[in-house]
Amino acid sequence: MKAFKILEIKESVFKNNNQQADLLRAELKEKKVFLLNLMSSPGSGKTTTLTKLIPLLQKDLKVGVMEADIDSDVDAVTIEKTGAKVIQLHTGGMCHLDADMTRQGMNGLGVDDIDVVILENVGNLVCPAEFDTGSVKNAMILSVPEGDDKPLKYPLMFTICDLLLINKIDVLEHFDFDVNKCKERALKLNPNIKIIEISSRTGFGVEEASQWLLAQVKQWGEY
Amino acid sequence: MHELSICYEIIKSVEQIVIENELEKVSKITLEIGELSTIVKKYLLDCFAPAVENTMFEDTIIELETIEGIAICNGCTTNFNVIKNNGYCPNCGIRDMEVISGKEFLIKSIEAY
Repeated sequence: MKAFKILEIKESVFKNNNQQADLLRAELKEKKVFLLNLMSSPGSGKTTTLTKLIPLLQKDLKVGVMEADIDSDVDAVTIEKTGAKVIQLHTGGMCHLDADMTRQGMNGLGVDDIDVVILENVGNLVCPAEFDTGSVKNAMILSVPEGDDKPLKYPLMFTICDLLLINKIDVLEHFDFDVNKCKERALKLNPNIKIIEISSRTGFGVEEASQWLLAQVKQWGEY
Repeated sequence: MHELSICYEIIKSVEQIVIENELEKVSKITLEIGELSTIVKKYLLDCFAPAVENTMFEDTIIELETIEGIAICNGCTTNFNVIKNNGYCPNCGIRDMEVISGKEFLIKSIEAY
């Protein structure tokens, strides 16, 4: 029997996942495939936003979507109608996707004929922020009914996102949602976050969001 | 909420360490958890039993150590414990700070042979 020993490790619990995520990003770079990780609370309008966003992207790009949910395929069925290539991922009770699961999803979807893959993460503002999926950029949706205090309550999510879409802006007058306060709070956590007001119902602001994404995809493919 | 998947992450990392160091058995894993990380210690411990079932860690002891959540006030530069003061600076009373410790979540050490 070998001698008993104590090993000093001092490494982050997330190190393994972070390594997997970096590896996936490097492979995507090689293939010139862009991966966007889209996160939000349940019911903020991720799927509805995608149904408006995808047709705009399809003018220039071939789009794939990975729908992650604990159960059901209602979102995948909805997205399929846009003509995008879709795969439904079941997380088996997990509240988020990690880099390994994302890789499995990409393999299942098949990305050789795709320019941009949008990962619709599990509806949750907590756990998905902790796990790097290997995405090139992170985007989140915050909808007006959820309240302008969410950056204060879920700071990590706002810190790791490159894009914040403030959705359901068409019903702003019915809620005590202070857009400026919300933006101020998000920018304090993350001065580089791009903020766009949208309505996934009317389509307001979706064009600007698609232009932002198109610019990111082009930049990713250039190097 | 996400403690179970975090247990799986820890198991994956320690398995890697076991392979790299050609270990036979891990008797104890010590984790350092910051007070300001999003980990609930009780849930983490509850999740370990089902997570290690049928793995080489079934008999491994999990020990948790806490790292205090300390911040520096952006107004008056006082250092203070974030939890004990509910995030408000005890000197000048504002809630505007830079956290300097307590967000960590580390595998500190393992005991093995």
